[in-house]
Amino acid sequence: MTDHAPQPARHAARRGDAPRAGAAARAEPYLYLLPHALLFFVFTVYPVGYGLYIGMHRWDLLSSVQSFVGLEFFRNLFVPGTPQFDFFWRTLLNTALFTVVSVPLLVAAALGLALLLQRPIFGRTFFRAVFFLPGVLTVSVMGILWRWMFDNQIGLVNAAREALTGAPPIPWLSTEGLAWVPIVVGTVWWTVGFNMTLYLAALSNVPASLYEAAALDGATPGQQFRHITWPLLAPQTLFVFITTALASFQLFGQSLVITAGGPNRSTQSVIQYITEEGFTNNQISSAAAMGFVFGLMMLIFTAAQFGLMARDVKGTS
Amino acid sequence: MRRITPLLALLALGTAGAQKVSLTFLHGFTGPDRPVMEGLIKKFNDTHPKIEVRAQAQPWATTWQQLPALVASGRAPDVAVINEDQITGFIARGAVSPLTPAELSGAGISKSKFFGPLFATADYKGQSYGVPISSVAYVMFYNKDLMKKVGLDPAKPPRTRAEFLRAAQLCTVDKAGKNSTQAGFDSKNLNTWGVSLYNNWVGSRAAYAAILQNGGALTDKNQNAAFNSPQAVSAVQFLVDLVQKQHVARPNSTEEAELAAFSQGKVCMFPSGQWYLDRFETQKMNFGVTFLPRVGGSVRDAAWGGSSHLTLLKQRPGYSADKRRAALEFVAWLSQPAQNLSWTATGSLPTQAAVASNPQFAKAPISGIFDRLGSVYATSGYPWVGQVMGPFDAAWEAAYLGKKTVTQALNDGVSEANKQIEQARKNFQ
Repeated sequence: MTDHAPQPARHAARRGDAPRAGAAARAEPYLYLLPHALLFFVFTVYPVGYGLYIGMHRWDLLSSVQSFVGLEFFRNLFVPGTPQFDFFWRTLLNTALFTVVSVPLLVAAALGLALLLQRPIFGRTFFRAVFFLPGVLTVSVMGILWRWMFDNQIGLVNAAREALTGAPPIPWLSTEGLAWVPIVVGTVWWTVGFNMTLYLAALSNVPASLYEAAALDGATPGQQFRHITWPLLAPQTLFVFITTALASFQLFGQSLVITAGGPNRSTQSVIQYITEEGFTNNQISSAAAMGFVFGLMMLIFTAAQFGLMARDVKGTS
Repeated sequence: MRRITPLLALLALGTAGAQKVSLTFLHGFTGPDRPVMEGLIKKFNDTHPKIEVRAQAQPWATTWQQLPALVASGRAPDVAVINEDQITGFIARGAVSPLTPAELSGAGISKSKFFGPLFATADYKGQSYGVPISSVAYVMFYNKDLMKKVGLDPAKPPRTRAEFLRAAQLCTVDKAGKNSTQAGFDSKNLNTWGVSLYNNWVGSRAAYAAILQNGGALTDKNQNAAFNSPQAVSAVQFLVDLVQKQHVARPNSTEEAELAAFSQGKVCMFPSGQWYLDRFETQKMNFGVTFLPRVGGSVRDAAWGGSSHLTLLKQRPGYSADKRRAALEFVAWLSQPAQNLSWTATGSLPTQAAVASNPQFAKAPISGIFDRLGSVYATSGYPWVGQVMGPFDAAWEAAYLGKKTVTQALNDGVSEANKQIEQARKNFQ
């Protein structure tokens, strides 16, 4: 848009039209951009800038002086021994762990379900709805449900396990490591339907003639998937991968409701810690600094992913 | 002020009392308590023709985020309700206006009529900043049928550590019918449990009470975290021993599991928030409610409590004296026994002895704690409640789950809390 739009304006100026019309023509594309630019500045650029300002001051609305502290709150994140250093990186690692575990599951399960539900099986629409529906629940409902399922004493999972194998209950919610199971399983159950829908849409765009031709050549279903479906779905897979990874990095409600970040902060997400620092500890500036650093990391991560996606889309088109 | 006073004088002369003072009132009672509050406000407006209170209810968390901006911009509501875990922070940051003894007595608010620690929740450095209107507390529910079955008198719930331990031991019965004091008791196969302990923040309030009961405190006189004192260690150790040595409380349990166990008659004593009262009454359980026994030690009675306080905020220069007077009149009226009695319909506990002794409560199970309501202590008095309670709850979790020794857990918690306090302190310089 911005590449091409100014061109007529340049032509007009060269042809020596009235300078007034030239100026108007030059301004025109920017006028189209204005509404979005306005919203973008008011709701994105300004808050980010203000957040940076807050992060560099000892900021409290009620205080008469908001003293400038420079990079102190940012430095805290890189000086071992401060609570911010300890917890920021620890919760960031927790979040990264969650992302690494949940994203492949969410992509693979969504693709698997889409492949199953794309076939003309009985009750297809019903099953599509069944897998999509959990996504309409709020995170608190979903969280409470999975907390109950995995409760150490009264959970359905332990009850089923005991009934089937006679094994003693596992304290899921209070064992480091195991506490991730309800969070990951719950998240997959909760959000897989959305990715499944994206894959179903993409699958319906794969020409049936390709499969027919392959079948004539004697390709097995496995080979058809390997050489037709998978490569043609590549752009979709990358898109699903990026959006899911970003969503996973924003983990907040699931671990808050299911484990409250415990035991021993082992399932606390970085956003949850930033919220705690800001609103429980009333350290707004420190939270702003962390939010900024975390945002920057996400930006780099997204840029890298977009680079990959662009390369891939070029390669397949 | 100078510009406004003549105007007010004129108004007062010209309209001779017909002029209404309009007050804004911000509170967080947005649930089933909202209609009760609205009813009270309507009653106030109907009986006070010269004052009109316009109330706004919004979630507490929103209020905590908005109050600084409202106060800083000089648009604070005339009266606001602030809870016990936030109030000292707002006071220390200068958002709340102190209520002088002259103002309190002028409005007819007598500190001594309220439960002492409850009123003191909104005190800071010798001054009062709020008047309590609502209160919740940690209590101990107990199953009367189970107690009777093991030979305990349900009319006399335990009060001391020895009585409590004995009750818990007798109540812990294995599948063969042997209780935990008998030979051959099988702690792996239990039918009923003595007492509920659990790992979340509600569970950790038992440890808070135990520490206070043993003469300890969460913070020292310099407002630094100090919940690793010998009194605190010994009090918390007793609770952890209930799991690890006495086997009368379940390890690795959650609040939901204990709540279910108590509802199903599988545990004798369930310490938790008084807000579960309604649930057990609906279930028609044969239960009693008592004040938390002195499990931590014998220094004093103590239980955790939460509370809401009516406060007057810092206003812009030139704020009308009439408004402040009217605001005080509203605060005084809303905290009076008659109104507080209406407010108990929301599940709140009485804020003053005059209400607790009302015959309406005579047969209510909750009245079992009324003789010790004066021993309910909120976590307030220091501006960094979050920095203390977060690490404290985590320390309880680690000790209860057996991940650390009690001493180690409390030491780690104190060291984390003090690091955070050291940083928070800079905000108040």
